[in-house]
Amino acid sequence: MSNVIECNNLTHYYGKKMVYENLNIHVREGSILGLLGKNGAGKTTTINILNGFLQPRSGECLIYNENTQHLTPKTKARIGFLIEGHVQYAFMNIHQIEKFYAGFYPNWKREPYWELMKKLKVLPTQKISSMSCGQRSQVALGLILAQDPDLLILDDFSMGLDPGYRRLFIDYLREYAKAANKTIFTTSHIIQDMERLIDDVLIMDYNRVLAQKPVKEFMTTFKQFNFELLNADLELKKEKFIVNLEKVKNQIELYTYDSEEVVLNYLASNGIGYTNFRKVEMTLEDAFIGLTGKY
Amino acid sequence: MWKSILYKEWLKLRWIILISTALGIMAVGSLFLNVQHDFLFMGAMTYWYNTLFLGVQYFHLLKYVPLVIGIAIGVAQYFPETVNKRIKLSFHLPINENKILLLMMLCGTTTLLVSFGSMFLLFWGLSAHFFPQEIVYGAIVSVTPWFLSGFVIYFFISLIVMEPVWKYWILYGLIGYAFIGLYLEPSTTGGYEPVVLKFALLTVLLSLSSLFSAYRFRKGEM
Repeated sequence: MSNVIECNNLTHYYGKKMVYENLNIHVREGSILGLLGKNGAGKTTTINILNGFLQPRSGECLIYNENTQHLTPKTKARIGFLIEGHVQYAFMNIHQIEKFYAGFYPNWKREPYWELMKKLKVLPTQKISSMSCGQRSQVALGLILAQDPDLLILDDFSMGLDPGYRRLFIDYLREYAKAANKTIFTTSHIIQDMERLIDDVLIMDYNRVLAQKPVKEFMTTFKQFNFELLNADLELKKEKFIVNLEKVKNQIELYTYDSEEVVLNYLASNGIGYTNFRKVEMTLEDAFIGLTGKY
Repeated sequence: MWKSILYKEWLKLRWIILISTALGIMAVGSLFLNVQHDFLFMGAMTYWYNTLFLGVQYFHLLKYVPLVIGIAIGVAQYFPETVNKRIKLSFHLPINENKILLLMMLCGTTTLLVSFGSMFLLFWGLSAHFFPQEIVYGAIVSVTPWFLSGFVIYFFISLIVMEPVWKYWILYGLIGYAFIGLYLEPSTTGGYEPVVLKFALLTVLLSLSSLFSAYRFRKGEM
């Protein structure tokens, strides 16, 4: 399966502040990749580079084998882009905006757009500026569905949406993407949403990629073990197999890609007294926090 | 595609075209009501004396009207594009980015041409009704840079509004102020005759200025 997006040795700085160095990303055709990271980890920077709104210091991103700094109109027509906050031309009404975009895309499909608009129960003359964030998200989604792009780039699609609209957005999107073999590259602050939507996960921390793999593989290989120390003052030595260790008084959360056996050996070989040792089932959000740390 | 771009620009500009053209025509109308009033109350002889020998310009009321219209149209057209960085939507459309900007500018310039053109023709016609050809010619030469200043401020508004770094707004503002000062420099009637064509050429060159801001935006300057 070929890659729709390929970023090679991507390096970017804001002034002297490094965002990342030699970052490599690839997104398979037909997959839904979620880019997760804390604030400031470089999610929006990556989205801006992908859309050609930011020139990286070095390295390159290719979409359909074209450098994103110089995408041809033909390739841009294959990409649907959702801006953070569901930004659209607020001075237009829902009829005008559909008419406007239809002129750019020869394969424009107005039915999915109007189907979503029916659900909103708004008049065709309603201005986008007078809509709630949730309603605007449906307009933005409807426009993307009508454009029928091969690749969708969604920047923080859940921002400002209540749970109902988030669910509606995700269900529509996943069904659409899977039915038509679309590729999606998305970011979101709400990781619960991602769990329902994505196939692959890319987790970024400041300056580096922590994980890029299928969600299922990540969730089965990445593990959390909790236990209580007998001596609360004991400081645990962080060995190579430990990805992250959180300690509150005598409560320990240990995150690793290794097995339970490795953890138990570590405790035994270091003479660490403990009770209540258990493996904890994680959600994607738990795993994200476990990997990146709480701070 | 260009039809869609024209449609978007029309949605932004339709009211401002009507309002600015109406205000412009009213300004010209009011100017000639003053002329008629002064003819009646001063007498034609005194009025002629003031115009020919004292350098009184019956059209001075028009001086800042194109400037105000240029600002209004520039803001109405470019401000909605930059709120929440909406210009990203335009740059993402399947058409060359510079082509989009030039089409947008063409729409704004055409709007100004319609607005200023109707004012200019009305001014010319009414001047010809009241004054001999020599005075009309001098008046036309004098008001032409004022109308051109409306285009210049429009181009600078597009440059400033699209610029992503606020420090550059000040720089462009100062440069724009200096340029517009040239067009509005006080002068005797017809005094601008030797430079009117140069001003027109300079105005055409300035029309490309917003491409620079857009280039900086696409490079990710912030």
